[in-house]
Amino acid sequence: MRILQCCLIIAVLALVVTACGAPTAAPAPAPTQPPAAPTAVPAAPTKASEPTKAAAAPTAAPAPTTAPTSAPAAPGQLPRNETLYVGGFQWGPPATFNPLAGVPGWPCNNIHEQVYETLFAFNQITGNLDPLLAKEYKFTDATTIVITLQDGTKWQDGKPLTSEDVVYTFSLAKTYKDLVYSDFWRYVAEMTATGDRTIQLKLDTKVVNPGIVRQRLAATRVLPKHIWTEREKSGTALSQIVDMNPVGSGPFKIQTASAERVALVRNDDYWGKTVYGLPAPKYIVHPIFKSNDDGNLAFQRGELDFMQQFTPQIWLMWEQKKLPVGTWFKQEPYHVPGGIPMMHINTSKKGLDNVKVRRAIAYSINYPLIAQTAMSRYSTPAQSSLILPTGGEAKFFNADQVKNLGWEYSPAKGKEILEKDLGAKKGADGIYVLPDGTRLGPWKVITPYGWTDWMTALALVSQSAKENGIDINTEFPEQPVVTSRVRNGDFELALFAITASTPAAPWQRLRDMLDDRDVPDRGTQAFWNYGRFKPPAGTYELLDKAAAATDEATQKQLFAQLDKIFIENIPGIGLMYRPLEFYEFNESVWTGFPTSENPWAPPMHQQAGIKILYKIKSIAR
Amino acid sequence: MTVATSEHASFDSGSVFLTGLRKFFGIFGMINRRLLFSGCMLVLVVGFGVLGPIILGRDNPMKTVGGLYDPPSATLWLGSDNFGRDVFTQLMHGTRTSLIIGVIAGLEAILIGLLIGTMAGYLGGIVEEVLMAFTNVVITIPSIVILILLSIAISTRSIFAMGLIIGLTSWPWTARAVRAQTSSLRTREHVDIARLSGAGTLSLIIWEILPYMLSYVVMAFVLQLNTGILQEAALSMLGLGPSNTISLGQMLHWALLWESVRTGAWWGFVPPALFLTLIAFSLLLLQASVDEILNPRLRKR
Repeated sequence: MRILQCCLIIAVLALVVTACGAPTAAPAPAPTQPPAAPTAVPAAPTKASEPTKAAAAPTAAPAPTTAPTSAPAAPGQLPRNETLYVGGFQWGPPATFNPLAGVPGWPCNNIHEQVYETLFAFNQITGNLDPLLAKEYKFTDATTIVITLQDGTKWQDGKPLTSEDVVYTFSLAKTYKDLVYSDFWRYVAEMTATGDRTIQLKLDTKVVNPGIVRQRLAATRVLPKHIWTEREKSGTALSQIVDMNPVGSGPFKIQTASAERVALVRNDDYWGKTVYGLPAPKYIVHPIFKSNDDGNLAFQRGELDFMQQFTPQIWLMWEQKKLPVGTWFKQEPYHVPGGIPMMHINTSKKGLDNVKVRRAIAYSINYPLIAQTAMSRYSTPAQSSLILPTGGEAKFFNADQVKNLGWEYSPAKGKEILEKDLGAKKGADGIYVLPDGTRLGPWKVITPYGWTDWMTALALVSQSAKENGIDINTEFPEQPVVTSRVRNGDFELALFAITASTPAAPWQRLRDMLDDRDVPDRGTQAFWNYGRFKPPAGTYELLDKAAAATDEATQKQLFAQLDKIFIENIPGIGLMYRPLEFYEFNESVWTGFPTSENPWAPPMHQQAGIKILYKIKSIAR
Repeated sequence: MTVATSEHASFDSGSVFLTGLRKFFGIFGMINRRLLFSGCMLVLVVGFGVLGPIILGRDNPMKTVGGLYDPPSATLWLGSDNFGRDVFTQLMHGTRTSLIIGVIAGLEAILIGLLIGTMAGYLGGIVEEVLMAFTNVVITIPSIVILILLSIAISTRSIFAMGLIIGLTSWPWTARAVRAQTSSLRTREHVDIARLSGAGTLSLIIWEILPYMLSYVVMAFVLQLNTGILQEAALSMLGLGPSNTISLGQMLHWALLWESVRTGAWWGFVPPALFLTLIAFSLLLLQASVDEILNPRLRKR
C-alpha cells in the first residue's frame, strides 16, 4: 500500500512538474535572440564590416553562458508613469557602450538614436532620410553632396557639435579600416567641413554609388572629436575601449547599466529641444531577459511597453485577452515587410550546382504555409524576387516579370522539371537520382537555434522537399557557429539575413546575392554572396549602372534586369518576408503609438522611430 | 459438548481457511490489482502508439491539416500544433517513437550493465577494480552532458541512433547492482560445483549466475526503459531529438519554442506531457508490483 501511495504521489508530482513546469522551467538553452535584429544594420561591403554584422545578426551574443539575469528590473524603482519599458535589443549584460565596439550594449548598438545620433534618420515607410543632426542634404551636382547641420547642435557635455565632429567621425574609418563604415571611403573621394554647419562630400567618380553613401550617412553615429582624439592617443584599439558613460548628442544618457537592465534618463539639456522638443518619457528602461518567452510574457503583463521580439500569435492579446496591445496593422500581416530571410544555396555542391535542381527545390517549398504558420501570419507568401513588394521599394517591384519567370509553391512543376527536364528517377527511398547518379541530397540546411520562426520555416522546407523527392535535413547550431559557417561559405543550404530595408535597398540586396567581386573564396569570411555564386557575364556592368542611376525609371528598369538574373539563376530562395523590426506596443501605460491608420512615424524602434518617443503620452497615475 | 467441540473445530478450521484465503488474496489480490492496473495502462499506451495510427489510418504525422495552433475540433481532436499538424496523430506516433527509443536504450543499458557487472563481480581482483572504477567515473559525469555532446556530434539522428546514445549513459547503476549480486552468487555451492565440473567462465556466468538474478534484470530493464523515454524527452526538448520524426519530447520542444503556454494553446503541451507522465507512472508501478511478486522480503510486509 505504501508503495502504491508513493507511486501515486510521484505520479501526481511528475504530472504537475511536467505539465506546468515543462514549458517554463525547461532546461532548454534560452531560445535567445529570435531573428529579430539580423536586418537592423545593413551589410557593409568590406571585411571591416564584421562587427556590424555581428551586431546585426543577433543584437547581442545570446546569453546562456553569461549568468542568466534574474528577474527583470523591479518595477517601482522609477516612476512608472515617466518610464518607458522597452525590450528586444539586449540579451546579455552590456559590456560597453562604445558604438565602435563589436557588440556594444543597447542603445549604442545597431542604429538606436537615444544616446548617439546620426546625421539623418532612415524612414522605412517613406524610404526617405529624415533630418536628425543634419537639416538637409543637397546634390549640387551629380557627384557633390552638401549637408547642412541643424542649428545649436551640442554634445551632452555642453561642447558644441560642429561639422568638424562629423568629418572627424567619418575620417576615423579612413585611418581605422576595421570600422564598420570604412566602405564609405570606397565611394567618397573627399569630405570637407566648408563651414561650422556645412559639410561637402565629393563622390568617387569611378564607383558612383550614392545609395550606399546615403545609407552610411543615415547609419553612422557622429562621435565627439574632443573625446575621441584623446582616446586615439591612448593607443588602445578604438573598438576595444570600454565606455560605460558615453557622451553623445542625443536626448538620453545612460543612467545605470547592470546585468538586469539598462536604464536611460532624459537629457533635459538636449540641443534639439527647440527643434524637436523633448521626448515624453523621462526614463527608458530595457530589462534584460534571458529569452524571448520571458520578454513576451512581460509584454503581455504590461511590464514592457514597446517591444521588438518575435511574439507568436500576438493578435490573441487583443482579440482574446482584450489587452491594449497593438502592432502596425490591425490585420494580417500585422507588420510591414522589411527584409527577405534568404535560403542561400551553395552552388558548388554536386546536385545544387544544377540550376534546374535549384528550381525544383524552389517549387517544392510551401510559401503560403510558411507565412501562415512559421511566420505566425506576419508575412505574405514570399515571391521570387529580391525586391520587396511593399513599402518604399514597391515602386521597383516588377510583378509581371515575377509572375512570368518566377516560381511559387507547385509540386507538380517541380516534378515536371525533375522527371522531364532532368530525367531523374525516384530511388527506393523516394528520393530522386539524376541520370549521372547524383542523389538529390542529403543536404543540410542550417539556421541558428532559438530563431523560432526561421527554425520552423526550415522544418517545413525539409518536410515539403522530402515529399517532393528531395532530401533536405535541418540543423540548428548556435548562432555564432552559423554566422561563421555562412560567411565562410561552409554550408549546403543556409537560412540567413541579407540586406533589409535601407536607403541603399534594393540595390544592396541585389548586390548581396549577385555580386562576387570582393567576395573571398570559401574559408574566408565574406559579407555578401555567401553561396559564392558566379554571376553570368554582364552582371557587374548592370550592378554598377544600377548603383549610379538616380532617376526612378532607369533604376526600375535596371533593378528588374538584375532581379531577372536572380530569378533565372536562383543563388538563393527567399522563404518569407520579415519586418525590419517587430513593432509591438502595449498601451497600458503609454498611448498614442503610430499605426497604419495614423502613420505619423514609421513602425521602427531605431532610426526615424526615435520620433515616436516625442508624441506618446503616459496615462498612468 | 461434542457438538460444541465440533462446532468449535469447524469454526476453527473455517477461520484458518478464511485467513489463509484472505492472506492469499490479500497479497496477490493487492499485487494483482496493481499489476493489472499498470499492465492495462501500459498496454493501452503501447496499443495507442503502435496500433492507433494503423486503426485510425493516420500514417503521416507530418501532414499539414490546419493552421497555427487551431483549437480542438471535431476533425482535429486535439487541435493542431505550430506547424498546423494534427496533435492527436502526432501523439500516437510520438508515443511509438518514445517507446521504441526507450526499449533500445533499455536493452543496451541492460546488456552493458550485465556484461560489466558480471565480469567485475565474478572475476574480482584487478578486473573488478578497473571496471568498477570506470563505472564510478561514468556515474559521476552527469549523463545529460554526455548525451548533449553525443547528440550534437551526430547531426542526423535516427530513432535507433538516439536509443543507442541514451543507452550508452544509463548502464552504470545496473552494472553496480549486478556486480554486487554476482559477487554474492559466485560463492554459492552450485557455482562451485559447476566450476569443479569444468565449466568455462562465460558459461558459468550465463548458466549459473544470470538465472538467479533474472528477476532483478527484468525490473532493471523496466526502470531503464523508463529512464530512456524520459532522457529522450529531455534531449528532444533541447532540440536534440531524433531527426525527421516526431516524439513526445519534440512535441514539447516546439510547444515551448512557440510559447503555447502564454498563448493558451494547452493542446500543444498538455497531451505530450500527460503521456510522458502516464508512461513513466505505469512503468514505475509495474516495476514496483513485479518487484513485490519476485522479492519475498517485500511480500512478507
